[in-house]
Amino acid sequence: MDNLASENLAWIVLFGHIAIIVAGGFITVLSESLVRALMGLILTLFGVAGLFFLMAAPFIGLMQILIYVGAVSVLIFFAIMLTNAWPGGDESGNISGKKVIFAILASIAPAVFLGSAALRTAPPSIFVPEETEVRELGRFFLEPYILPFELISLLLTVAMAGAVILVFERRKKK
Amino acid sequence: MSILTIYHLVAIFLLCIGIFGIIYRRTLVGIVLGIELILNGAGLSIMASAQLTPTPNELGQAGALVVMGIAAAEATLLLAILLVVSKRFKSVEAGKLVTMRG
Repeated sequence: MDNLASENLAWIVLFGHIAIIVAGGFITVLSESLVRALMGLILTLFGVAGLFFLMAAPFIGLMQILIYVGAVSVLIFFAIMLTNAWPGGDESGNISGKKVIFAILASIAPAVFLGSAALRTAPPSIFVPEETEVRELGRFFLEPYILPFELISLLLTVAMAGAVILVFERRKKK
Repeated sequence: MSILTIYHLVAIFLLCIGIFGIIYRRTLVGIVLGIELILNGAGLSIMASAQLTPTPNELGQAGALVVMGIAAAEATLLLAILLVVSKRFKSVEAGKLVTMRG
């Protein structure tokens, strides 16, 4: 009885988060104001973090909130602010019907192919995933998979240096 | 329908709506939002594939973390590129960027 109640609760949590993700996705794509679109993106990110928690990976869920909501969203907000995206309403005004049709077609194509593939070739899945200890994950990163770990740090360093150089170069030429 | 399929369908939804946003949006910032949606879907898909099948869980978690690192690096560079573009063209509308030379 108790097991059944917790199973129902898990389904409710799952579909609640999926609803949050869907709503956030549509706000992100369709909202006229870019700041509102960013808020929709943050909603989606929280929904995905909730799904990570539901998959018994709280560490990744927390990392999702820390990196995406805490860092990437702030960066995008700076991008909105520094590029003056709102005066004149870059995203407002009517969009040509041809563009909407192209966008819908381009988004339906992967939905049909990947969706049918995912439905047809789905392997049997575990109902209750096991939690992995963070210690195990750290050992995994430092022993067999140390190369991707180091490459990610290299990538972040290069991206940071590249960003600084891009903006700095422009200022020097003026 | 297994749980894994539900997670995969959510990931495919994120991919599709990201592609829709990339084409539908007119400003570069809107396109960046679409790219973030796609990357999130990728992370969710990798994670579900490892957690809900007999694959070692660490693989999926490591994959999700790598995707997050790539997204962070990408957002940093895109911010810099957006700044340069907005200084050069006085606008960040994708349709107005018709020349590659500044």
